[in-house]
Amino acid sequence: MTGPASVAQRPDGRRLSASARPGGGAWGLWLAQTRAEFASSLRAPDFVIGVVAIPVMLFLMFGPPNARWSLPEGTRISAMMMPGFGAFGILSLVLFAFGVEIAQERGKGWLRLMRATPAPAWVYLGGKLAMSVLYAAVTLVVLFAVAAAFAQVRLSPQQWLQVGGVLLAGGVALAPIGFALGFLARPRAASTIGNLVFLPLSFASGFFFPLSQLPPFLRDLAPYLPTYHYGRLIWSSFAPAADITAYTGIEPVGALASVAWLVGTFVVFSLLSVWAYRRDRRRDEG
Amino acid sequence: MVVEMHGVEKRYGDVQALAGVDLSVAAGELVGFLGPNGAGKTTSIRVMLGLTSPTAGEARLFGGAPDRREARGRVGVMLQESGVPTTLRVRELVALFGRYYPYALPVKEVLARAGLEDKAHALVSTLSGGQRQRLYFALAIVGDPDLLFLDEPTVALDVEGRRAFWQQVVGFAELGKTVLFTTHHLSEADAVARRLVVIDKGRIIAEGTPSEVKRRVADRTVRFRSDLPASALAARPGVQRVDLEPGGLLAVYTSEPERLLRELFAQGAELRDLTVTDADLEAAFVALTRREGVAA
Repeated sequence: MTGPASVAQRPDGRRLSASARPGGGAWGLWLAQTRAEFASSLRAPDFVIGVVAIPVMLFLMFGPPNARWSLPEGTRISAMMMPGFGAFGILSLVLFAFGVEIAQERGKGWLRLMRATPAPAWVYLGGKLAMSVLYAAVTLVVLFAVAAAFAQVRLSPQQWLQVGGVLLAGGVALAPIGFALGFLARPRAASTIGNLVFLPLSFASGFFFPLSQLPPFLRDLAPYLPTYHYGRLIWSSFAPAADITAYTGIEPVGALASVAWLVGTFVVFSLLSVWAYRRDRRRDEG
Repeated sequence: MVVEMHGVEKRYGDVQALAGVDLSVAAGELVGFLGPNGAGKTTSIRVMLGLTSPTAGEARLFGGAPDRREARGRVGVMLQESGVPTTLRVRELVALFGRYYPYALPVKEVLARAGLEDKAHALVSTLSGGQRQRLYFALAIVGDPDLLFLDEPTVALDVEGRRAFWQQVVGFAELGKTVLFTTHHLSEADAVARRLVVIDKGRIIAEGTPSEVKRRVADRTVRFRSDLPASALAARPGVQRVDLEPGGLLAVYTSEPERLLRELFAQGAELRDLTVTDADLEAAFVALTRREGVAA
């Protein structure tokens, strides 16, 4: 341990050490938080595998064998499955990178320590969001490459960009579901709840298998799930409406209705997250 | 004033954690908050920090509301039970934490001050309990705070670790900065603080320099068997309280055991099974709060 350097007192009473430097502002703070989140997650291999590798692996199992089938207007089944597994991967980020991580960090007291600093609360969530968008983008790039190479998925450059963009933007719209889970669930229960929501939601939204091949009650349920509308918008970004109807077995509701579902989800779960965040802070305050 | 508390009360349900606390801390003070577990030390710190709001009364930090950002930017904290991301390196975490503050010290300097230079590249998950405690200290000082709150900072440290730690804290205070710490070790508070605030059952029961407080707190217990009446012992100088313990032992709580024994022996008193021990703080506080009491 070495002795501290000299300190100068300013008129406002602040006593700054000679070596103290002013911080970098909100933008620098957000970047630093994102970088730390990214570095931290890279050292948890199970996280990287779960997020990036599993959707790609699952697609490799189910995509290529279905490449020879096409829908009436010519879209390959494998092309429909590809963004389904992408959406599955992004949903896992929403529920696990946000929901379960936040709940666990709450439990460990990290958030309590952060609350005692001048850092605004958005920095914490903003860092997680940016990190997750990065991971989602990496996952999609790998998934698209695999789909083009092994599952005969052929899209125009514009279609590739559109499907990727809708996947990412829709994922951001769903992100507050994870925030709400993170602040509502008890730290120990979060993982269980995440799993309970994750798989049924993925199935019922048609991310794994075409809804047309699944039990009819799922087709009745799907239009009331925000994740189904997420999938619908993703497919609409490159496939003709008739093919989507044939694939899902559900009559189209119109892109505007699906957008409204996602916007509504974003708003409702954002409000719920804010409420849950405040409730958590109040509880912590006692 | 850096910290002010006026008639602060805090209730958790039926539990009265703070029952009217008044306290002022001026810039540059090194104040020890002393009390047994559950006395209200941590709650006091949380109120001062604005992490919890008082049920009644008012707390001010740097002359304003404790939870405003400007105040938070001038405060460093070591809280109990604070977990940090374990998959970051020490250097990374300290640098990130520095970003949270309007001003930050260079990471290298912070790690040197906290005695963690050789752990800069270690993952947080690999640190020992004592090293992790030093990391928390590093996080507390990285924002170059004017005021440092340390809640039971030495819990995980060994004797040598404690000594080094307090040396750092004293060095920090010598910069003209303000330090407020809690502990339930009387000896620690005595050695480090310039001013002691003793709290029990949510009230401040003694306040002053360590020697002033110690005079009022019986920090030794003298136990023996004797025919002497308890009331005669209680009247002697320095004696705070006398208990007749199960088994017939007399327990005398006193700040001056040598004087008591010298006088008793000079009078030819016969003492059997004699022991002198450091009073645990609980006992010392009992002595302080019920000084007039002679239990039999």
